[in-house]
Amino acid sequence: MSLAAIRTEPTPPEAVRWTLPGARSLDAVNELVTAPLYERQLWSWKAWWLAAALSGALTAGFLVAVYVVFTRGIGVWGVNTSTVWGFAIADYVWWIGIGNAGTLISSMLLLMRQKWRASTNRFAEAMTLFAATIAGIFPIIHLGRPMYFYWLTPYPNTMTVWPQWRSALIWDFWAILSYILFSLIFWYVGLIPDLATMRDRARSKFAATAYGAFALGWRGSARHWQAYETLHLALACLGVPLVVSLHSVVGMDFAASLMPGWQETIFPPYFVVGAMYSGFAMVVCLAAMVRWGFRQEGLITIAHFDVMAKVMLMASIVMGLSYATEWFNAWYGGDRPDRSLVIFEFTGSYAPMFWALLFCNVIAPQAFWIAAVRRSVVAVFVVSILINIGMWLERILIVWNTLSHGYLPSMWRLFIPTVWDWLTTIGSLGLFVLMFLVFVRFIPAISMHEVRKLVDEEGS
Amino acid sequence: MNKQLRLDQANMRGPPNSEVDRRAALKLFVSGAALALASCGRPAEQIVPYVEIPDGMTPGLPMRFASALPLAGYGRGVIVTSVEGRPIKVDGNPRHPASLGSTDVFAEATVLSLYDPDRSQAPYSGGRVQDWSAFEAALQPRLDKARARHGAGLALLTGRITSPTLIAQIEAFTKALPQVKWYRYEPSEDDAIRNGAILAFNRPATLLPRFADARVVLTLDADPLGAGPEQIRFARDITQARRTHVPDQSLRLYAVEPAWTLTGALADHRLALRPELVRNVAIEIARSLGASVPELKGPPEAEHFAKAAAADLTARQGGGLVLAGPRQPPEVHALCHWINNELSAPVDFIAPVDPLNIGGIASLKSFVADARAGAIETLMILGANPVYDAPGDLAIADCVAAVPFSAQLGLYRDETAARCTWHLPLTHVLEGWSDIRAFDGTASIVQPLIRPLYDSRTAHQIMALLSNATGPSSFDMVRGYWQQAGKHGGDFEDWWRQTLQDGVVADSAAAKISLPAPQMPEVAPVSGGENFTLAFAPDPSLFDGSFANNAWLQECPKPFTKQVWGNALHLAESDAQSLGVVDGDMVRLVAGKAVLEAPVLVRQGQASHTVATTLGYGRAGAGSLGTAVGFDVYRLRPSDSPWALADVSVSKIGGRQNLLLTQHFFELEGEAKDLQPRFALADLAKKPDLGLSKPGGNPATLYPPHDYDTYEWAMVIDTAACIGCNACVVACQAENNVPIVGPDEIAVGRDMHWLRIDDYVIGGKPGFSPVPCMHCEHAPCEPVCPVAASIHDSEGLNLQVYNRCVGTRFCQSNCPYKVRRFNFYGYADGEEYKSFGDDIVKAVFNPDVTVRGRGVMEKCTYCVQRISRARRAAEKDHRKIHDGEIVTACQAACPTRAIAFGDLSDANSRINALRAEPQAYALLGELGTRPRTTYLARLENPNPDFGKAQS
Repeated sequence: MSLAAIRTEPTPPEAVRWTLPGARSLDAVNELVTAPLYERQLWSWKAWWLAAALSGALTAGFLVAVYVVFTRGIGVWGVNTSTVWGFAIADYVWWIGIGNAGTLISSMLLLMRQKWRASTNRFAEAMTLFAATIAGIFPIIHLGRPMYFYWLTPYPNTMTVWPQWRSALIWDFWAILSYILFSLIFWYVGLIPDLATMRDRARSKFAATAYGAFALGWRGSARHWQAYETLHLALACLGVPLVVSLHSVVGMDFAASLMPGWQETIFPPYFVVGAMYSGFAMVVCLAAMVRWGFRQEGLITIAHFDVMAKVMLMASIVMGLSYATEWFNAWYGGDRPDRSLVIFEFTGSYAPMFWALLFCNVIAPQAFWIAAVRRSVVAVFVVSILINIGMWLERILIVWNTLSHGYLPSMWRLFIPTVWDWLTTIGSLGLFVLMFLVFVRFIPAISMHEVRKLVDEEGS
Repeated sequence: MNKQLRLDQANMRGPPNSEVDRRAALKLFVSGAALALASCGRPAEQIVPYVEIPDGMTPGLPMRFASALPLAGYGRGVIVTSVEGRPIKVDGNPRHPASLGSTDVFAEATVLSLYDPDRSQAPYSGGRVQDWSAFEAALQPRLDKARARHGAGLALLTGRITSPTLIAQIEAFTKALPQVKWYRYEPSEDDAIRNGAILAFNRPATLLPRFADARVVLTLDADPLGAGPEQIRFARDITQARRTHVPDQSLRLYAVEPAWTLTGALADHRLALRPELVRNVAIEIARSLGASVPELKGPPEAEHFAKAAAADLTARQGGGLVLAGPRQPPEVHALCHWINNELSAPVDFIAPVDPLNIGGIASLKSFVADARAGAIETLMILGANPVYDAPGDLAIADCVAAVPFSAQLGLYRDETAARCTWHLPLTHVLEGWSDIRAFDGTASIVQPLIRPLYDSRTAHQIMALLSNATGPSSFDMVRGYWQQAGKHGGDFEDWWRQTLQDGVVADSAAAKISLPAPQMPEVAPVSGGENFTLAFAPDPSLFDGSFANNAWLQECPKPFTKQVWGNALHLAESDAQSLGVVDGDMVRLVAGKAVLEAPVLVRQGQASHTVATTLGYGRAGAGSLGTAVGFDVYRLRPSDSPWALADVSVSKIGGRQNLLLTQHFFELEGEAKDLQPRFALADLAKKPDLGLSKPGGNPATLYPPHDYDTYEWAMVIDTAACIGCNACVVACQAENNVPIVGPDEIAVGRDMHWLRIDDYVIGGKPGFSPVPCMHCEHAPCEPVCPVAASIHDSEGLNLQVYNRCVGTRFCQSNCPYKVRRFNFYGYADGEEYKSFGDDIVKAVFNPDVTVRGRGVMEKCTYCVQRISRARRAAEKDHRKIHDGEIVTACQAACPTRAIAFGDLSDANSRINALRAEPQAYALLGELGTRPRTTYLARLENPNPDFGKAQS
């Protein structure tokens, strides 16, 4: 077949459509997405207020915990002489992992022309922004002297002391900082056309002014669109390497060390996959919420859950393979500390958590081989929650196992979490949910212009 | 300083309901201010510095004075460092026979007890603070009455006293008033040893082993390396005799003991036997030497052990030595004297240094009898705390309370003070003049380093008061005594000066006495019963309990168990299994009417049917830190056999108690044995390559080496010489302002010791490895610190810049040795445990070392302040620092000289020679960290015929 023939061959009709028939017009899309914001009386906000109250309370708990940590010191946590790191580091890695998926969905799927991303990328990006922000809080509150966190920056000072560039924590600092800035810009750029839509559909002068201000004078001209597409695509091209490097650097926080169970070359890619894995799981949870809360069944379809479940299934296999590689290498390498650590993982004091993590991350997602499970929102939701728990367990065990079971048996000590450990962890979840609730209340949770494009491409 | 003292003067604790009106408050303020101005500074009398005699003190330059510190009544010579009038550090006095320049944990911790805010600060009676004149007024009519009756009704109760001046005072007093009674009791009593000598020789005599001449030593329930006044000296002698690598010339140590002691841990052969059965081994040895005693019938391992030991002992003519411990009855001691005589053992005898001519327990019993009979009307207790530490069956508290007028002179308002009508504050040993004899009779003058912080009195002053001699100070009395008794040949001033400077009175050691051939005692083998025996021992951290309020000692991890802030009942594994208990389970121990409920700690290698425990805990009046820590076993202690309680039944009861351990028990197996390699001397000669990770034998690296321009500091720790005594741990704490964290923090897994002693069991035998910072040349902590707070200096030191540290703790995460310590709270800086944070405690800080605040990491610095001091001195003289010029705090403390420090760049340095030893190794050297701290493997000298004898 000649090249020309390929070019002229008609595109075969897609087996899967990413919208329900009722939503397949440009107006319908606008209507569906803006209705919760502009026709509030049509929606029961009871669940929203309930969630806001609960997450508000947790956020208050988080603030109290942070206040206590700042005033009384990190001694309030369960960290000790051997296990000097604890929940804060695990929480940080977990949140930054969650913060991965938005960029992945937006940039990588965009570059890979995965059209279905259109109806999920907005709240996934918001999720990224919030998760990365929370992730950024943890390394600071985890410091013994958090007031001096800025010493990690190369600011001009009278002592002419710079940061120590060989430290993975410095790499990490820059990685988080650039990622948060990138996420904000990327999210905002993608939002501009929709803000203009909101402005145009506003029922009050205040709303029109507010949205209008943020819409930066967007008029939807071809020139605007051309500039927008160029910028968005360019950002997406930046985003993919950034997200990979960010999670590689997070992996190097551990891998660039000397400790058994950390000093492993597999860590950077394994962290990228793990981050994508937990990020997707969180996107699924949020998608189910948005779909149910704002009756967006028309835009977020069963097909979306189906495809995301497939991604998680793939990731779970990669994760299982990564774990097995670690075990194999410990055995094959033959070093006493490495082998001893693997035995400790399976049989030591934290073993129940380790088995739970294997179940959540490797076993449970295998249910996605069955199409009926993939196409059940409840089932996908439950497995996603399990994955999120499993991924948190994985992070805390990476920290605990190595530090509790290092080279010298004389210093083997366990970590016993305190109420402040739990409050910082669960409180941060509350803060995240609260931020997300505020977001869906004021900003279109689904990218209207991208879904319109999708509807247009799919044809009605 | 002024402010601190003023606060302490004002803090004099009155009864809770005492009302202070405005005028009284002003009076207190004025008197407090006046006292503060007057009391801060050097003692009024001239004291003579040991090393340098400045023309007036140079601020910033520490001054060092020789003195001596008591333990169980015997002195250990020390040199105390004083900075601007504050004593801050105790080191050993090389000229003193009980120190030889080293210290033990108790000597090191003495400076902290000086500044203990819970110390008694004023006389106390009738529920309120009094002044001395009130006491004198109350005492006078009683003294007058007693004098009229030649002292009848007046009694003294003291601990062991070896102070020549005080003894002379008491003797003069009792000579003038012959009816005065003097009772003398020491909780770490050795009556059995004393009575054993009487049994053998018909006269009291003290045995002094000459370990240097010994080739085979058998200890029978004896612990010459354990805590006690001879520990430092014996530890040095024994390890010194084991330094050679020639198996035949090295001292071989056999130990028979019910529970682990430091001696048992060092021993080449050890047998765990319950206390009663230990005598069987002695009898078997005597039999092999020709004594007509019945043959030992089992247990087989004891039989075998005794045969092998006997063969070895007799094979080294003149080099065999048998030592029995205070738990063994007098007959066993007499038997050992007989054995030693047969072996021509390297032992000397001296007349007892303790002058009391009856045993301590006997003395205490006569006190009880007299007190019950109402024969004591006025009781003066000098420095002792019998209500706490007397054997429980004597019910001494009632006896003391029954005396109409009793006054206790003590450092704390303790249990005894609570039963006395008066309590009087005692001057701390670092505050007042006195003198004291060592275990071998060598006398030292006790020099004060600081004026008494409170309005306290020495025992000398109290005796003067009793003798109605007003006026002379302790200084006058001590000096006066030596003017009479010292061998100064007329030139007293020079002699006095020299004696103060040396820290020992020349030629004052007790003369050796020659004794007749010992008599063979009547002794027969016994078999153990079904019940348990409770074996007591002095605590390695608190000794007899008198150190209970010392935070450094409370938090000093005990050898073997690593327990802090508490004690436990130690049970053998087999007994624990049959009782169904694990570490921390509560058991009930019943002995007659006495019942004790306490937590269990299971110990591998302890004799079955033995419950072992240590004295010193369960204090009711120790002070805010030491009260109600652990459980009290004195009340179970029988006066007839103070170190063992037979016929004890043990049963499991519900409940658990969280034991505070800084290391959990690990038996090392397989490759993990490399963490603490051990070799037999015989193998050392045979194998040139021991398969060790050698110092300097580094794995390849891509990184360029560091440039070192001047010195390259390094440390070598000889685990063959380490006996696990903890002196280095406490010395490091004292030198480097290392805070304590308190029991709650320990429970979470936090501690601050810069130097820890890892205790691993290999093949059932424990071994000790002190672990300070390794000062790696490729330190894993350095590249991971984001703010460059962990850095490498040009001399190879791995430094921590506290000011720069933000507390990421990545350095400790990445430290394979886990030697870094994090200030999770302001342990030394505002968030101290209980009274450890009181202002006065800050006086103990070493001004050369930064006090670390919350949120920063810290660790061993190789005593960088001492390196700096040496460097300053060397630069002034335009020379390099000499080899051996820098002595780290741990090195200085070590009684066995197991720690060496020096410069690697100096090819002739001792440290280079040690690193070239065949048994030298780098801990985890295979990681490529290139540690500067390296080790010498533990060397053992087992009897090659030991196994053969079995078959």
